[in-house]
Amino acid sequence: MSMLLTKRLARSLWRTKLRLSAVVLMVAIGVFAGIAFGAYANSVTTLYDDIYDDDEEGLNLPDLWVENNAGNWNESTAENLCQEIRNQWPDVELELDHCEPRLVTSGQLFSSDADIGMVSAVWHGIDEGDVNKVWIPNHDCCSGRLAANDSEIVIDEHAVDALNISVGDTIRISAGAGFALNYTVVGIGFHSNHLYFTAEGALLPAQPGTFVTGYMTSEGLEKIANYSAGSSNQLLLDIVGTPDSQDPDGSGLTTLKANISAIVGEVDESPASIYDRTGVDSVEFLRADVEGAMKTYPVVTGMIAVVAGITIFLSLQRLIQSQAKEIAVLRTLGVRRMSIMPGYIIAPIFIGAAGCLLGAIPGVLFGAPAMISMYEEIIGIPIINPAVPDSMVIQNIAIAMAVVFLSGLRPAWQASRLQPLEVLRGEHEIRVSSRALQKLTSRMPATVGLTIRSSIRKPVRLMFTFFAVGISMLIFGTMLLMMDSMSEMFLGGVEERQNWDVQAYTIDGEDEIIEWADENDADYELMIVFAGNPANDSRQLTAYGLENVVTENDDSMYLVNLASGELPKSGMGVPEVLIDEGINHFLGWKVGETHSLEFGTKTVDVKVTGFTKGDLSRTVYFHRSDLSGIVGLEATVVMLQLPEGVEVDDELAQISMGIDVREDSLAAFETLMEQQEGMFYSIQGLGILIALAVLFNTLVMNLAERDTEIATLRVLGASNNRLGLMLFGEHLAIGLIGGFLGCVFSILGTKMMISSFVQWGMYFTVSATTSTILILIGIVVGISISLTPFGMWRIKKMDLVAKVKDLSQ
Amino acid sequence: MRLLEMSGIKRHYVMPSGTVKALDGIDLKIKEGERILLLGPSGSGKTTLLNCLAALDNPTEGEYEFNKEIVPRGHAEKMTTFRRENIGYVFQFFNLLQDLTVLENILLIQELSDGKDEARARELLALVGLEDEVNRFPAEISGGQQQRVAIARSLAKSPNLLLGDELTGNLDSATSATVMEVLVSACEAENITTVMVTHDENLVQYATRVVRLDSGKIISDEKV
Repeated sequence: MSMLLTKRLARSLWRTKLRLSAVVLMVAIGVFAGIAFGAYANSVTTLYDDIYDDDEEGLNLPDLWVENNAGNWNESTAENLCQEIRNQWPDVELELDHCEPRLVTSGQLFSSDADIGMVSAVWHGIDEGDVNKVWIPNHDCCSGRLAANDSEIVIDEHAVDALNISVGDTIRISAGAGFALNYTVVGIGFHSNHLYFTAEGALLPAQPGTFVTGYMTSEGLEKIANYSAGSSNQLLLDIVGTPDSQDPDGSGLTTLKANISAIVGEVDESPASIYDRTGVDSVEFLRADVEGAMKTYPVVTGMIAVVAGITIFLSLQRLIQSQAKEIAVLRTLGVRRMSIMPGYIIAPIFIGAAGCLLGAIPGVLFGAPAMISMYEEIIGIPIINPAVPDSMVIQNIAIAMAVVFLSGLRPAWQASRLQPLEVLRGEHEIRVSSRALQKLTSRMPATVGLTIRSSIRKPVRLMFTFFAVGISMLIFGTMLLMMDSMSEMFLGGVEERQNWDVQAYTIDGEDEIIEWADENDADYELMIVFAGNPANDSRQLTAYGLENVVTENDDSMYLVNLASGELPKSGMGVPEVLIDEGINHFLGWKVGETHSLEFGTKTVDVKVTGFTKGDLSRTVYFHRSDLSGIVGLEATVVMLQLPEGVEVDDELAQISMGIDVREDSLAAFETLMEQQEGMFYSIQGLGILIALAVLFNTLVMNLAERDTEIATLRVLGASNNRLGLMLFGEHLAIGLIGGFLGCVFSILGTKMMISSFVQWGMYFTVSATTSTILILIGIVVGISISLTPFGMWRIKKMDLVAKVKDLSQ
Repeated sequence: MRLLEMSGIKRHYVMPSGTVKALDGIDLKIKEGERILLLGPSGSGKTTLLNCLAALDNPTEGEYEFNKEIVPRGHAEKMTTFRRENIGYVFQFFNLLQDLTVLENILLIQELSDGKDEARARELLALVGLEDEVNRFPAEISGGQQQRVAIARSLAKSPNLLLGDELTGNLDSATSATVMEVLVSACEAENITTVMVTHDENLVQYATRVVRLDSGKIISDEKV
């Protein structure tokens, strides 16, 4: 390898400082983003493992839950259930470690702050505390100890700031249809069911001051809820080790669940549902989130590195083209091919190394902590031991270096293969233009024809550019489409298709709520929300029993979003239902087919009449009358439309298991969007910046290649304005084609990415609206034509005397 | 009738090694219809003089009138307009646009001069003997043919003055002769004045006047 040749190449590259810097910056951004996302994914994975762990520090997350959907078991029934489960434990490979009854009930907290007033609550009575304990980490967030007697409580950390609660305070609370009593706060901590802090049935984190959870002794909860000693409504089953809930068939959970269902059915007639970790929204949502992050970060680094690689590839090709005569002379003078190649291979390695260094250092020092603190702000869980593993940093650097290295191979090979005679005769530059394109544009003015033909003169370069722009727009478009889809899914659901003001949760207490509604002139509508699962499948779904299953009806408070098929009829022999698109996606159930669902110990056949869209979790819509007959409940939710001046009061709170206020749900979405918009906009900006760099690189190369052509036209009298118009046309054409392809790439890429990330517990699709398509195309067109003034400035700056000299030599 | 007049034209370049006097006091008057050959050794100032005539370059000193009007200098767009209205230019390496056909190369210049006229373009191509090649791309015809297209292109907007810089420098002698004959007949037909820079003494036969330069000065100016 000749040092002088390499030095010469380095100087040539240095002449394109701006483009060189853009490429280095792209590599740096890829590595930075990869490290920031990777640190977040790794830290959060470690955090969950630590929290769920079965040791002194961890809370020992159960593997199966048995939940009584119709009330409580008394002490002897619960003990009997656990005993029978132990006695008849069916699986020889999975060993039962603990079976612990647990009481969980909804309630209220009465804040001393008049502005806050009454707050919906969920209270846990944690008796023995071997399984699913309260987690009070040794961290600034938390303090105190577990509740030790029936007047003490631990409050969830998510709620304390907004409610202004601290250890030592006395709070007034109520539960179920029990009393309002004072409890002393002895600790502030977390619980696995509420790590992702949402109110009952909600998708999004609760608005501050609207929801609270607390953990007391079982005696404490029994006292306030006026339940008999030893009451429970959940059995927590902890298996030795952790069977994989993502592969319930392989891990044996599906069979085990069916067997436990049979055991529970033998002992007690109450409708009970049995689910694994995927059925606990908080656990499943956070697991899905971290799994998505783990999958995403190498992809993000890879995508940005590919764009950088394409830019390096195109730049090196252009460099070789401009240095072709020098290379030909060197080859004529006897320089070997192998002496030409190394420089073009080393150049991208240096570019990659510089980019990796510039990306890795701030990535570790700033990107990772910023990402972690953003997570802490959104989810509200402290990351106790944030980790930036060396292996993850190396992985990101390796991805970036591999991509940029590969990008230099082809140009290096091309450089070494240049034929000196062809180059010196100028034959390598001679090329017959496309006859088909000429015919296609022959009726247009010559300037327009030239514009179109110039635009696609280098099809390979243009294709690579469009590919790179497509990836950049994928980065931008993913965020745009996801924000749109989230808005559509949530706002479309709550804002457009649901017109209740309050949802009051109940079990068998709907009559009291209806009475309250009548007294307050409020309209009401009953609904059943009940957990179930497909037969022989442990994954949980939610069955909705609606008074009227309709898509458009002002009288109904809950409309379905029918994607295809027909609305079900009530009272059919085999109940007719709508299933969400996610069930169709995962189970392949089709319209017209009949399938079995399990609700606790009961199995029923249902006929699918259509699909709904916009449901994040797996959902089946029944007519309430049909579902009621299956689960034995008239309602679990009463939806209320309140007349003006009527608000949720203490009485409604007392007679309800929990309350969901529409305004709070909408505000929660706004808050979530506000919290994440910084990141969303940063990623969108990143996508635009990369698209700008890619287009800038290509258009500058196009311009540089057309220097001779433009100089000729300038000498022959073409005005700057006319040439500017031609450039504008060319940039507009490239922008439109690139924008269209970028848009297609973005939509298809996002769909593919989303389809690879979706899971049973979290399924959604993206679809582009006209405005999204226009934004995606408009951005590329905007970037492209915004480079026209640069091109005109370059033309204006052109030294015609020097160019004419070139033209005559 | 006089087409242009240069008096006391100087073009000096300030270089790190000192001032280079590319033109050092040129006095030149050209009448309509003349075919002038600029001859001289390398570095004598031929191309610089051609650039000043084309208003591509700004003289450091001196006066330049064209059709009794002062030729603009120091203002790129005005100089461009002057070229568009008055000057045709033929390069050594033809510099045809590879993406356009022979005919389109001519139409393009007409369009850029706000006067597209396909019949005239075809007439010019017939004048240079290329009426059968109108739909070919430059890469599909010979070097001599390409230079004839370049001549037709330079005539497309009916310039007052046609300038040629080593326009046969890239051609063999037989082809050079053909190109020059085409050029002479075309310019005579169109009554266009020509100034051509060359090293080739054989081209004197096509000129009506020969101006020799050395060290930025005219050392002889003879009618042929």
